[in-house]
Parts: sequence; structure tokens; C-alpha cells
Amino acid sequence: MDIILSVNNLNFKDIISYPKIEIERNKATFICGQSGCGKSTLLKLFNVTASSTKGEITYNGNLIDSLDSIELRKEITLVSQTVFLFDGTIEDNFNQYYMYRSLPALSAKDMKKYLSLCCADFDLETKCETMSGGERQRVFVAICLSFMPKVLMLDEPTSALDESTAKRFFTNIKYYCSDNNITLIVISHDKGLANVFADNIVKLEKRLSI
Amino acid sequence: MKDIVEIQIWQFALVYLLLIIVLAVMKKCKINQTKLLAVASVRMTLQLVIAGLILTYIFENPHPLFTVVYVACMTTFAIHRVISKNKEINTKFKIAIAVSLSVSGLCIVVFFVCVVVGESIFNPQYVIPISGMIMGNAMNGTTLGVKTFRESFSGQRSKIDALLNIGVTPQKILLPFVNQALEMALLPTLNSMIGMGIVSLPGMMTGQMLSGTLPKTAILYQIAIMIAVCTVVCLSVFGSLYLGYKTMYNEKNQIQL
Repeated sequence: MDIILSVNNLNFKDIISYPKIEIERNKATFICGQSGCGKSTLLKLFNVTASSTKGEITYNGNLIDSLDSIELRKEITLVSQTVFLFDGTIEDNFNQYYMYRSLPALSAKDMKKYLSLCCADFDLETKCETMSGGERQRVFVAICLSFMPKVLMLDEPTSALDESTAKRFFTNIKYYCSDNNITLIVISHDKGLANVFADNIVKLEKRLSI
Repeated sequence: MKDIVEIQIWQFALVYLLLIIVLAVMKKCKINQTKLLAVASVRMTLQLVIAGLILTYIFENPHPLFTVVYVACMTTFAIHRVISKNKEINTKFKIAIAVSLSVSGLCIVVFFVCVVVGESIFNPQYVIPISGMIMGNAMNGTTLGVKTFRESFSGQRSKIDALLNIGVTPQKILLPFVNQALEMALLPTLNSMIGMGIVSLPGMMTGQMLSGTLPKTAILYQIAIMIAVCTVVCLSVFGSLYLGYKTMYNEKNQIQL
């Protein structure tokens, strides 16, 4: 098994401790478990927006603490539960995010490609303020996916979607990621989705630290 | 020009009668702040009387030490006020504010008194009133700037997290907040410069003219002080936020206020 991320003896603020976890390269790993068991925190520890109290995480065999955190986040991109879009059109949003990343703007054709992958076939001129929560969520994933990270981490990406859209969304994302060698990590409450789309499932339990 | 008419104490006491009008309006509109009005009036009277006594003593017995101590107290008070209105920020940020406010304030005072006016930096008659105006404005500007920065930061946490998660550097994320807060802090000073001389004659100019200074001289002073105030607000807010925002992220590029 080719491991891209692995977790050993990990502990966060003595509140959450994690079992040994290994994430397989270019596969879709789903993380399941009840609220408060540390799913979102685990993703934040992976991209170093939070720091562990004890234990280690390795990425491609290197301790993540030894890597440059900005470069790491470009490779391991987290799409958090709280969606942020700028006021303005979808196109404006792509451009703003690309400006922040100091990248040349994406072509309209490419924007459409990523939107369509995320089941968000809206006109590029659509104002983001007027879109629903679920629509905004998909546009946000599309922008993050377009950066083509090595690892894409989605935190409850389909929480605001109906079942059939959620299935289409995951079908597209999963195939796109495996075609383009992107490792996918997904947090989902939906056991049905996990059973259909996951290559591996990590079950976290509420464990008190010792 | 005639020297100012000395106000007689009994005539002066009549001015307090005006407070009865305020009191009457408050009663009519059921504003429950009569106690505050009383406390504020008494405190203002006492504080100014004490300041007057101290200044009289210092002016009659000028000693460099007195001037230095007076200005030091003013600066400390200004720093204390800014920080007490922005308690949520971290300790290093507070130090950045203290350093910026005092350094920029004192540099402008020295430049104003020694270079523009051409007086000794220890002459209390010039240094104390000018420091008061400079420090007071620096205090208000910095309070506003830091408050704007802090509030827009807290209000836009989701934006900050989203940008961090896609690998944007903290500098790039935070600098727009710094720039926006600096602009907000400068606006009141710039706006007051625009209205100056049309609607209101500023306090210092009024005071100088009342005590017999020619309007020409009073105007020169006022122009100089307005430019100095604008500069000190700009420097103090810029310094506070520019040094301050760098205390908000660590070597792992995590951002916290």
C-alpha cells in the first residue's frame, strides 16, 4: 500500500487522541464518526492550521512540522465546512482566489469545466450573494479543486445537497481525482455515500486521552 | 489688540446655569443620565482646576524635569486608553501600539517645537499644550484604527480561514485589513481639515485669538498643528498595525488575534 499521509500517537490539546491512521495515495478515504470525535480537527492538523500537542504526522515520509506550511497547504488543500465567497460573480471569485494565490487567472473554459465537475453548472456571471448555501458550497469546492492540489480534503461537502446531487457530485469528483492522481479525503456523516464511494473508511471514535 | 478680559469668578459661575437646560431636556426626554451629567461636570471641573494649578506652578518654576514628567504622563495615559479599548489583542501587539504611539507622538512634538516653532524642547509653555493636542489626536486615531482592524478581522474569520486553507501567506491575508483600518483612522482628521475655517474655528486658534494673538499668527499655528496631527495619526496607526499584524501569526503560519 502506498501511504501519503500517516498519523502516529496523535493528540490534540489532551482532548482528542487519534488511533494510527494511514491514508492511501490517489485513493478516496472517508472519515466517519460522531460529532466531536475530532474529524475536522484531524484535517486542520494535516494542513497545519492547527498544531498537535503530541505525536506525529508524516507526509510522503517527512514530518509535516519540518515542511514549509504555506507550500504544504498548496499541496494539501482543505475545503472547510464554512464556505467563503467574495461578493461578486462566480468569475470574480475565481479571479480573486487566483490573485491571492499569485496565479494567472483561469480561462472561462476551465472555470466552466471545474464548475461542471462539481455539479455547479451556473453562468459565470451569476452573483454569488444570490446563490443558495448548497450552490455556494459547490462553487467553493470547484475553486479549490481547480488549484489541482495533491491532496483534496473536503469537510462535509454535501451537507446542503439532496441525495441525487450528492451522488452525482461524488461520482464526478472521485473519478476526476483518481484520473489526476489526487488523493481525496472526505468527512461525511452519510454512511451510504461512504459505502458507495470510499476506497478506505477511517472510523474515529470518541476516545478520552490517557 | 486688547488683552483678554479676565473672567470674574462669580460671572464664571453663571455658566453652570446652562447645565440646567441640559437637565431639563434630559428630564423631558426621560434620559436617565442625570447622574452621569453631574459626575462628568464635577470631574471635568476638578481635573481642569488641578491641571491649571499644576501648569501654573510649572510655568512659574520651569524645570526640564517637570516638562518631561508631564509629557510622559500624557503619553502613558494615551497608551492606556488605546489598549483598554482594545483588550482582545495579544501582548506583543499591545507593545507595538505603545512603541508606535509614543515614538511617533514624541518625534512630531520635537519636530514641531524645535524646528517649526524654534523653541527649546523643555519650554513647558509650548511643549505641554502641543503634546496634549498631538497625543490626544494620536490616541483617538489609533483607538479607531486598531478597533476597526480588530472588528473586521473577527468579522471575517471565514475569509481568513478559507485563504489560509488554500495556502495564502498570512501577510497577504492580513495586509488588506491593515490598509483598510489605516484609511478609516485617517478619515476623521482629513474630513475635519476640509471643514476647517468655514463652519468652525478650531479650539487652539480660538484660544489664541481670545488671548490676544493676531489671527495671522493663530492661523499659522493652526495650519501647522493640523498637518502635524494628520501625520501623527498616520504614523501611529501605521506603526501600530504594521508592527502589530506581524505578531498575529506564528512560524507555522497560523493566525490568531
